[in-house]
Amino acid sequence: MKPWEQRTGKAAVHEVSVALGIIDELMRIARRNNARSVLSVRLKIGQLSGIEIGSLRFAFDAVKLEHPMLSSAELLIREIPLRYRCAECGRCFDAGGRIAVSCKACGSRDLKVVSGEEQHIENVELEI
Amino acid sequence: MCDACGCSVVGETRTIEINRRLLEANEEAAARNRRHFDEKGIFAVNLIGSPGSGKTSLLEKTIVAVGDDLNIGVLEGDIETDLDAQRIRAKGVPAVQLTTGGACHLDAALIHDGLHMLERRTDGGAIDILFIENVGNLVCPSLFDLGEHMRAVLISVPEGHDKPLKYPAAVRTSHALVVSKIDLAQYFDFDMDKIRKDALSLNPSLKILATSATTGQGLEEWIGLLRGKPGNTGAP
Repeated sequence: MKPWEQRTGKAAVHEVSVALGIIDELMRIARRNNARSVLSVRLKIGQLSGIEIGSLRFAFDAVKLEHPMLSSAELLIREIPLRYRCAECGRCFDAGGRIAVSCKACGSRDLKVVSGEEQHIENVELEI
Repeated sequence: MCDACGCSVVGETRTIEINRRLLEANEEAAARNRRHFDEKGIFAVNLIGSPGSGKTSLLEKTIVAVGDDLNIGVLEGDIETDLDAQRIRAKGVPAVQLTTGGACHLDAALIHDGLHMLERRTDGGAIDILFIENVGNLVCPSLFDLGEHMRAVLISVPEGHDKPLKYPAAVRTSHALVVSKIDLAQYFDFDMDKIRKDALSLNPSLKILATSATTGQGLEEWIGLLRGKPGNTGAP
């Protein structure tokens, strides 16, 4: 195989990619604010986001060690429950973290996701 | 040492509000890819599905069926080897292999690099349809927008009709569901109505096709879908 026919990427399960993205963002913010260190980062992650929180914590704690400024950074995660609204009867219900295919009240399959798709960095606490 | 709790914090603390999406860097790269595709008139298709679901076979049959009608380019995503790119090149179509070295998905930056490599291979010749065959995986690729115009998820008959509900993100973020190896349905306990119903409950606008790379069933409908170029919704 010739080098111009192939491009090789960095190894990662997707939570590692997410963790690397958070770390890039933290380093950018820390430098811009002339911070001594990053104390914590607060995330909002929905149950339907496709991000496994345990895997993300594991990945974050592993990759943060490459940056002394982040070595004691704490990952604070607010998990957002998966909630649906039924387009038929208007009722909202908590799906208990599982995909719902029909309304618990009227059985309609026309459901809209109200919350649970979030995947955001909310804020960062810096030591200046 | 701080006075409050005795921790090692020496400076003052400050909280910075961010409110950025976690994968925003990838989404920005995807938006750049999409602009590039649009400028060059390339229709980009992201194929996702489990290992062995038939992504490469579908591509091979598509290349033969389309013939000289449309110029096809292929980016092949795999963890290792360029076996799939070789299969595609054997059909006379330019292909670049993207090996992720362990990663379970392609991201927009890899697509950007791969596209430039592909354009060098075609000497600037036009590409009408760019197929991006993602790494065999029904989970992680759903999270990464590559800038594609259409995302198609393959689920093969032997995998079972329960897959949409078990892997909802793949179905929710796709424009089309290709049920592959439909010629095997008679040998498996496979319920096409069930897979259709479950998939539509997750994604009411999903196009659903049943195909077989062996018998050619559904290929015409698949190519019609490619030619029809369904609206760019910027998945996921």
